[in-house]
Order: sequence, then structure tokens, then C-alpha cells
Amino acid sequence: MSEKPDVWQGTLSVMVLKTLQTMGPLHGYGIARRIEQTSGDLLSVNYGTLYPALLKLEQEGYIASEWGVSDNNRKAKYYKLTRAGRKQLEKETREWEQATTILARFLAPGEKSS
Amino acid sequence: MRRLRAWCMRFAGLYRKDQQDRELAEELESHVRMHIDDNLRCGMNPVEARRQALIKLGGVEQTKENYRDRRGIRWFETLLQDLRFGVRVLRKNPGFTAVAVFTLALGIGANTAIFSVVNAILLRPLPFQDSGRLMMIWHTPPQKSFPGVARFAVSPANYLDWRSQNHGFDQMSAIGFRSLNLTGMGQPESVTGLAVSADFFSVLRIRPSAGRGFVADDDQPGRGNVVVVSDAFRQRHFGANENILGRTIKLDDQSYEIIGVMSPKFEFPSGVQLWMPLAWTDKERGVRGIHNYLVMARLKSGVDKEKAQSEMDAISNNLAHAYPTDDAGWGAVVMPLRDSLFGSVRPALLVLLGAVAFVLLIACTNVANLTLARALGRRKEIAIRTALGASRGRVMRQVLTETVLLSVAGGALALLLAHFAVDSIAAFLGPRLRFSVEIGLDGWVLGFTLAISILTGIIAGLAPSWHLTKANLNASLKLGLGKTDSDPGSDRARNVFVVVEVALSLLLLVGAGLTIRTLYLLQGVNPGIDPHNVLTVPLAISDAKYSSADQQTNFFNNVLERVRALPGVESAGAVSSLPFQEGGSTEPVIAEGQPIVPMADQPEVAVRLISPGYLSAMRIPLEQGRDLTEADKAESRPVIIVSDAFAKRFWPHGNPIGKHVTLTFVPGPSREVVGVVGDVKLDGLDVTRPVAAIYDAMSQKPQTQMVLALRTSSPPTSLISAVTDAVHTVDPDEPVVAVVTMESIVDQSLGQQRLNAVLLATFAGLALLLGAIGIYGVQSYAVRQRVREIGIRIALGAKRSDVFLLVLRQGLKLALIGICIGLAASLGLTRLMASQLYGLSATDPLTFAAVAIVLAIVALLACYIPARRAMRVDPMVALRDE
Repeated sequence: MSEKPDVWQGTLSVMVLKTLQTMGPLHGYGIARRIEQTSGDLLSVNYGTLYPALLKLEQEGYIASEWGVSDNNRKAKYYKLTRAGRKQLEKETREWEQATTILARFLAPGEKSS
Repeated sequence: MRRLRAWCMRFAGLYRKDQQDRELAEELESHVRMHIDDNLRCGMNPVEARRQALIKLGGVEQTKENYRDRRGIRWFETLLQDLRFGVRVLRKNPGFTAVAVFTLALGIGANTAIFSVVNAILLRPLPFQDSGRLMMIWHTPPQKSFPGVARFAVSPANYLDWRSQNHGFDQMSAIGFRSLNLTGMGQPESVTGLAVSADFFSVLRIRPSAGRGFVADDDQPGRGNVVVVSDAFRQRHFGANENILGRTIKLDDQSYEIIGVMSPKFEFPSGVQLWMPLAWTDKERGVRGIHNYLVMARLKSGVDKEKAQSEMDAISNNLAHAYPTDDAGWGAVVMPLRDSLFGSVRPALLVLLGAVAFVLLIACTNVANLTLARALGRRKEIAIRTALGASRGRVMRQVLTETVLLSVAGGALALLLAHFAVDSIAAFLGPRLRFSVEIGLDGWVLGFTLAISILTGIIAGLAPSWHLTKANLNASLKLGLGKTDSDPGSDRARNVFVVVEVALSLLLLVGAGLTIRTLYLLQGVNPGIDPHNVLTVPLAISDAKYSSADQQTNFFNNVLERVRALPGVESAGAVSSLPFQEGGSTEPVIAEGQPIVPMADQPEVAVRLISPGYLSAMRIPLEQGRDLTEADKAESRPVIIVSDAFAKRFWPHGNPIGKHVTLTFVPGPSREVVGVVGDVKLDGLDVTRPVAAIYDAMSQKPQTQMVLALRTSSPPTSLISAVTDAVHTVDPDEPVVAVVTMESIVDQSLGQQRLNAVLLATFAGLALLLGAIGIYGVQSYAVRQRVREIGIRIALGAKRSDVFLLVLRQGLKLALIGICIGLAASLGLTRLMASQLYGLSATDPLTFAAVAIVLAIVALLACYIPARRAMRVDPMVALRDE
């Protein structure tokens, strides 16, 4: 197996929310695969850690779940974004954009102090 | 908000756990299947596809565990688990559980009961707005005339000067008790009224629930015929819902208009049924030397008690200079209303609070002991749990959960016990308090009980759990049957428990012993009268109806004459106020041969007015001279009788008969001493100093309030109706109430001491019982631990009596150490209750010795059963038992 970095703490929930926003209702396995694909297979999701994270989001009311049937006729639990989840995603997106901008400025080469 | 929602969900997650587990398993299952499907599609063989899917998912059990952590609340679930386990363990040991719960219930119950009294009397604010600012202001009398008297009622003129000169108080109200005859509403009745200055209700910040309070205009002479009545008064004399405002009632033959009714809760001070304006006349306003009013005031905001006190000191100083005759030596003291009302019961309550705390400590020790003994039997279980990975903290928590469970159960039972105890204490204490407070189990008391229950459980569980988890894991696991192995550490702990218990019990027993001895000594005190077979009949006539001195004297003489004629009455007389009851007055005197000094420096002596026959009815012995007779009339030569203490004080050498005494307060002729009688404990049995008293002739100084004393040959109470009839033949409007035997008055005067003695004795008895159980428990446990050793001793030829003594000696040794420590502690602590003792010192050797012996005997008895059991050990059984 190649050395892929694990998903770092605190970002998994944003990724889940974003995934659900783009993909619509999806089951846990699908979410995990989608995250890996989106990262261009740079990230490795330990699928086991996903489920407590999903539970947490559900407890906080950002997502809701219900049982359904998958494409290949398997019973699966589907998660979908709630209205609160959508708002939360917007908020977190803004925060992340800001954070990355700031960090990018710090790390940008060439601006040396005298 | 989101957090809260998540927590709620997590709490909800505590339920339906099985279903949720199943759902998660299904979800993971479908996850894995989908992953396998994908892998198969990528061309893996089925085995590899499944392997990869499972690797990617990580440990399924671990995932489930993480999921569960997130789903519920870990510590809470552990707690529930511990509780369930604890309940199971306790239910499996019903004997142990019952003993422990009951022990704790007694300890906690005693605390709850006493705390509820302390809470009501000393802690909870009085039911008045901003009650912390309410003060009473008392006079402090000159110590030369009133040695040992700390506070004194106030005279009208001084009150008026205080009120006009102070700047520290918002309002200042004078109040005086009035005993009034209510007539014109069926049977004549005596009611207690309170005459108050107009601002009385505004000092308390309270209003009548119907009608109005007093205004300045009501407080003028001639306009004061208005009353505010209590709700109880209205209920009693009118219908419950009747509008009685504007109605008039007859009090002491004068009409009063009802202008207000108080709410049902307001009865201040206790027993008062109506309030009326003082309406002092100019003459009354000028009275400076008669102190018969109480003063209540409300501190201005921003002024504290000390500041108000220093201002009152300055005012008193000025008054003393301005009016040296009346005010020299008279100071003022500002005292919080609560202290004025309840200050006298405070020390006793604190002693009781200390006593119940000790009882609880003993109960705690007992339960710790039991838990430890029982826990040692569980050493193996605990060792296994530790070996399986339970941390020390986790195991301690389990043990603590069990003891807290016990103590909370004990606390619940305690509330039940306290409920009854509080009712009887309140019933006893209620009428004795100047202001009836609601004594009961309110929120504070419940909170207190819960808090001490949990605390008790933790304290009782700490030592056992610590010992248990400290035990060497290997040694515990290797234990055989666990019957012969003892652990020196926990043996020591148990011995310490016994010593502590014995010491605490001794402390309580000493306290109870001293109080009981006090009561006993007080009951043995010669009151100076013979209270058996004496009936007392208080009579108060109105001076509107009996205005002249002759009329007043004639009324009482007529009544006495009729009463004396009743069959069963041996002798009868009247007195202005009975011994052991409040209301006696003192006056400054100049006795013949004493230097003539200003009134403030003159000695004060008790003055009682009596009729002929009083001395013989009370059997007060006549030591010299003669009794008063019918011949001592108003117009004849003024004569008095003095007490032995009076005669000894002023004429230690000469013959008192024929000497003269001047009562200087109301200027008048000097009086000739015609007799000397024995001393009477006028101010109470616990007053050691003999009371110097003067018995003045009623006929020469008539009064409107007298108490008849009847010596009877039959049981006194059987005469009540005959006496009532006799009074009514003289005046049908005269109320006859509160007729009681002199014996019950003497008895009542010891009420406080008796309550103390009963409560302390109860608590000490509890302590003794718990201590005995503790010693017994430890010794039986020790014997059980040593069965094999004892078996070997007997097999090797030890005599059974030796074994018996061995066990006995061991138990007694612990008890004796406890007794010594307890005695030492008692020497220090009983000093705190010295003020409540009479006739013996706080370190009374007799009490200490008796208590130590009692405790030693109880300890001996407690060791006796285990010792006998040890003696009967069958060596064959004991040795085979391994």
C-alpha cells in the first residue's frame, strides 16, 4: 500500500457535508469512496472512522438518515443534507477559504523581511 | 444550541441500545458487501475482495466501540452500570444492606431533624421584607442594681427620645403586651393584645390583608380605640368570610373599632390576637423610670449595626446626663431581631447539631467497617477484575457507588424518620418560641439531607475502597478459601474504626450525662414553695370597671372568700405574679441602715403583692414574725414581709422584724417588716443566687392583675369548674382561663432543659447502640478470620477459657483506647455547653466516670458473643475446613 496521508482531524465533517451537497443522498460507503476520489486518491479514509463522524453530524442535526436500496439492490442507510447542514457547510466553506488564503500568504515564497 | 441538541440526542442514545447496535451492524454489513462488490468488479478473487474490504474498514468491533462512545455518554453509562451492579450486590446481601441502610437512616435522620429546626430558627430569614435590617433595641441596666442582667425593657420617655434623636433607623416602634378581657361575645375571654406605636406595621413592612394599619392620628390619646385583629381571632369570633371591618368589640369594657385584619400567616409575636395603638397620654409619655416596652426598629440602608450602636451609645450618654435620676447607668444595645427572638435557644441548638454530627460520624464509621469486612470477602473478585484491566479508580468508583447507594437509601428512610421527629419537636418548641416559625422539611432541608447522604456515602466508602484496591493483586489471586488469611492493613483500619466509634460515643454520652444530671439536679432543687396540690387562677380586671383601689381589693377579696368556702380548698391567696413565670417586677429600695444613694445606685429587689393566705397556700415557710392578716388594711400602718435572702443581705446581724424599708420608685411611706419567709426561686430553678424579695400587702397597693393560688385536698384540676363558678358569682364578665396546677408551671419552667436532655439522651443512646454494633461486628469478623488459629490453639491444649479471654481482651483493649481518647476530647468539648449546665462543672468527674464505666460494660457485652463463639470452635472442624 502506498503512503497516503490520513484525513486530518476536523476536516472529515466538511468533506462529508460537501460530498452530500454535490451528490445528494448517499450511503456511508459511497461517501467514503467519493471523498477518496475527490482527493484524487491522495487521501485514505479509514472507513471505520466515518461512521462515528456521521453519527455526530446526525446528532447535531446537519444530516439525516433513512434506509434505502442501493443501485445494485443492496439495503443501505442513506444520508442527506438538512437545511441546517447546508448553512453549516456554507459557514465552514467560508472559514476554510479564509484560513487557506491566510496560510497561503505565509507560505508564499519571495516576501522576505529585511 | 447544536451542542445542546447533540447532548439530548446522546441522552436519547442511552435507550434502545440493542436496536441501534443492530442497525449499525447492518449498516456496516451493507458497507462491506458494497465494497466487496466493487472489488469483485475490479477483478479480485472473492477471498481477496473480502479481505481488502475488511482491512479498509478497520476493526469492526473497534468501529462499533467508537460508534457507541459517540452515541451515548460514556461516564453516565458507566455510572448506570455501577448502579445496576451495586443494586444487584446489595440485594444479594439483604442482611448487610438492611443494617447499613438503617444505621445510616438513623444518623442522617437525626441530622435532618435537627437541621430543620436550625434552618427554621437560625438560618432562614424571618418572613419580613429585608428582615436582616430589623433590630430590637434594649436597655442595658446599671450593673450595680441589676447584677448579671444584660438587657432590659424600655421606658416610654426614653423610647421617644431615642426615636427623635437617632439618624440610623428608618422607623422605631415601641410595643407592649396587653392582657385584655373580651366581653359581649359569649363567654368572657382573656385575649393577648399588643399595643404598638403607629409605625409598627411599617417597621415590619407588612400590611393588613384587609382594611388598614395604624396612622399617626390613631396613636393619639382618646383616638386609640381601633384594633387590627389576627386572622385566627376573626375565625374564632366571627364567620370565616364575614366582613368585620368597622365592627366594634368590647375590650376591658371599652369599645374598639376593627379597622384591619392580618393575613393568616402573621402572628407576631406568638400568641398575639390583636394590635392596638399605644395612644399614650402626655403623662404616660413622660414616664422614664418604668421599663415595660420593647423597641423594634429598621436600620436605614447604608447603616450597619455597629454604626447604629455607637449612635445609640451617644444618645444614652446624653440622656444619662439630662436625667440622672432615671437614666444614669442605663445604656442601649442594638440587637438583630432574630437574635432577640431566638438567641436563648441558639446554644442548645448548636450543641444538638454537634451531637447529631457525631452520631452520623459513628454511623459512617460503622458502615465503613461493615463495607470493609464484606469487601475483603470480595478481594478475589476485585483482583480478577483488576487483572482483566479495570483501573484502580474504576474499582474504587464501584465500591463508592455501592456505599453512596446505601447512604442515599438511608437518606430516603431518614426523611421518613425525620418527618415524625420534626413534628414532635415543632409541637414542643412552637409554643415556646416568641415568634412561631414554620419548622418542617423544606427545600433547604431536603437539599441538606441529599448532600449529607452523598457525602456520608463517600466518606464511608473511601477507606474500604482504598484498602481493597491497594491489596496485592498476586496475593489476592492466590487466596484459598479466604477464610484464614487476614490482611494486617485492613485489620488496623478496622481497629481504628472501633477506637473512633468508642471515642465519639463517649463524647456524646458525656454530653447527655451532663444534661441529664443538670435536669436531675434542677428537679431536686427546693423551689421554696410546695407546688403539689396547688391550683393557680390568673385573674385580670379592667380598671375601667374597677377604677378605685377599694373596688379592686374588694373584687379579689370577695373571690378569695368564695373560693375558700369551696369544699376541697384548704387555703387560698393571691399574688401579683407566680414564681417561675415571667412578669415579676423589681423595684429599687432603701433598707433601714443602708446609705441613701441616688435611685440608679439603689439595689433592685423582687417585689410581689400578696393577700393573706398566699404564703400558707404555697407553703412558703414563715421563719420569723407573722403573716399578713385581714387587719392589714389600706389605711393601716404599711407592712411588708421579706425573704430570708433580703434579711441576710441588709441586716446580716440584727433582727429584721420591726426594721423599715422604703420602696423609692413610687414615693411613699416606709414599710415595716413584720415577717421573714423562706427564699423562693422566683426567677427559675436554675438561678443559683437566692432572690431578695419583698412581699407587699395587696390591700395597701392594689392591682388589676392577680393570680389566685389554691391549696387543695383533692386533685387540683377537679376544682376548676367550681372555681370558675365562684369567680362568676362575683363578676359574670370576668374571664377565667389558663387555670393550671403549680406543678405544671414548675415543670414547664424546665421544658428547655428537658428537651435538651431527651434529645441528647436519644442521640447518645443511638451512638451507644451503633458503637456496640461496631465493636461486635469487628470482633466477630476477627474471630471468623482466626478460626483456624484458634482451632490449632485448642488442639494444642489451650483452655477454652483462655480463648474466651483472648478475644475479650482484644476487644476491650480497643474500647479502652477509645474511652481514653473520648475522655480527653470530652474535657475540651464539654466546656462549650457549660452555659447550659446547672450545679455541676462541665468536667463533672462523676459523669465522666459513670459514662466511661457504662461504655466499658457495653463494649464487654458486645465482645461477649464473638468470644463465646471463639471458645466453641471445634478444632477438628476448623482444621478440616481448609
